[in-house]
Amino acid sequence: MLALAAWAGGAGAAALVVKVAKPDGRPVAGAVVLLHGPPGSKSSAPATFIVDQVNQTFTPDLIVIPVGSTVTFPNSDSVSHQVYSFSPTKRFQLPLYRGTPYPPVTFANPGIVTLGCNIHDDMIAYLVVTDAEWFGRTAQDGSWTASNLPAGDFRIEVWHPRMRESTDVIERPLKLEAALSGRLDVQLTRSLRPEPLGVKPRSWSDY
Amino acid sequence: MRAVIATALALLCAPAMADGHLDLSVDLRLVGADGRSSWLDDGLGKLRFDENHDGLQVGRLRAAWNQTFGETLNLRIDASLWRLSDHNAFDLTEAYLEYRPYPKEGWRSRVRVGAFYAPISFEHRAAGWTNPYLISSSAINTWVGEELRTIGAEYSLEWLGTRLGRDFDLGLVAAIYGWNDPAGILVASRGWALHDRQTTLFGKVGEPGTGPVPGRVLFKEIDHRPGYYVGAHLRYLDRVELRYLRYDNRADPERFDPGINDFAWLTWFDSVGLRFETANGWTLIAQWLAGITEIEPDSGYEDWKYSSTFALVSKALGRHRISLRADWFDTDHFVTSWPPGLQETGSAWTAGYSFERNDHWSFAVEAMQIKSDVEQRASLGERPDATERQLQLQLRYTR
Repeated sequence: MLALAAWAGGAGAAALVVKVAKPDGRPVAGAVVLLHGPPGSKSSAPATFIVDQVNQTFTPDLIVIPVGSTVTFPNSDSVSHQVYSFSPTKRFQLPLYRGTPYPPVTFANPGIVTLGCNIHDDMIAYLVVTDAEWFGRTAQDGSWTASNLPAGDFRIEVWHPRMRESTDVIERPLKLEAALSGRLDVQLTRSLRPEPLGVKPRSWSDY
Repeated sequence: MRAVIATALALLCAPAMADGHLDLSVDLRLVGADGRSSWLDDGLGKLRFDENHDGLQVGRLRAAWNQTFGETLNLRIDASLWRLSDHNAFDLTEAYLEYRPYPKEGWRSRVRVGAFYAPISFEHRAAGWTNPYLISSSAINTWVGEELRTIGAEYSLEWLGTRLGRDFDLGLVAAIYGWNDPAGILVASRGWALHDRQTTLFGKVGEPGTGPVPGRVLFKEIDHRPGYYVGAHLRYLDRVELRYLRYDNRADPERFDPGINDFAWLTWFDSVGLRFETANGWTLIAQWLAGITEIEPDSGYEDWKYSSTFALVSKALGRHRISLRADWFDTDHFVTSWPPGLQETGSAWTAGYSFERNDHWSFAVEAMQIKSDVEQRASLGERPDATERQLQLQLRYTR
């Protein structure tokens, strides 16, 4: 469910507040918002990122990165990990390692990459690779704000790793007018999956 | 089996040690028990420690080696000592090579070759097939640790739906194995028991009801007919898992092995288990197992129907855990000759507290009461009904 409201904003540029809510109206924190600009908009510049492995957990467990970015996957645990992705966006494997023996991995295509460890099945993390110029994650109050936007036709994508909507990503067109502030309310139609139970004791290794 | 282990040991000693890890643990107990003479000492008691074996006892001395070869091969060797006077004091409980290729398109395969446990218990999720909830296992999984070991090869295939944005994972498993022909003898001749002792691959256990004998061998190939198991699991997120396993050792019940003075026991069963976990530290495990074991000596046909159920509830509070389990069990012996078959029924309550101080030190206490009515006890001159109680304190150091 989407609702768009607009009102007079600052001079020239437009601004947008996106609020993501659960079916009961409570805010969804940590939802990924990707805002694709009008034709001619460019992608954000690639950068370098780190997804560490600490206490058998990927840290952070979700990052949004511009297309072309590189990510290093150090292992700060004393046990070995074996990182893999079978997501079509980027398939790769980092054979059993500790420390940082491998060069950074480049993510050249937009999409969602699910990371796992072939040794520790509970480990999971997500990379959202995007060619959007504006992107981010919603705060505790469920909101994400973009300012200094040009006027024009936009496309917005909203995604959360625990989302259960009928489509993998919520995607909508959006029209912004100059000097107007817009607010977009995105209400999920289904509840989020519960949060993972967290790290099991080190000696556990399911039989 | 010895060839498999010799190969495994040769691989272990190979110069190209990629990534090896040694686990050592010492588990000591202070035990108070009033049970009947234990099945380890040829009695029909259901406890590991009877009234003649309490006080300070060795719980388990364990050494395990985990070695990776290349990317996807992993060797696990688990050896333990359970009692200083055992036939093979320090012996293997598991030794196998595991092949874990990377998942592809959401499908994951795994192959295990060697000697290992079938995926049947939801209790035993810690290293060395250890139960982190209570010191003693349920009647069902005590029996699994006593008599069952997959000495062969297993293939499992899993669809990782939760990694594809779905709510469920699904898996199938199948194995073919040998050396499990005596499986069934303990549940038939003694009935069910509740403890944490696992039979080692070359070890022996007592021979209930026959007086002092050299001991019974539980892993032996008698009829050269492989057994199998097939199973499936369904997992909802990381909260709920349901498992089914059909085990059949396909033994030829007419075959007798003079070497171990025993028949091949044709044993099959179905097992269904459920584990449910919540975000605030509650775990519920329930399991049901029922099957038949039979032999066909010249004197006629004999079978034992056996079944057991348990429910365990556990609550973790940081490093502290409290758990409570109820077990129910029975066996029913049918024989075509005189005298008629004997039966047993029983139930048990087990309550425990554990504290994991850190990665090295842990402490646990467990109280257990088993009430059973075992008609066969009359052959030892005992009353059939017994209430056996055991209190254990456990101190364990792991490095």
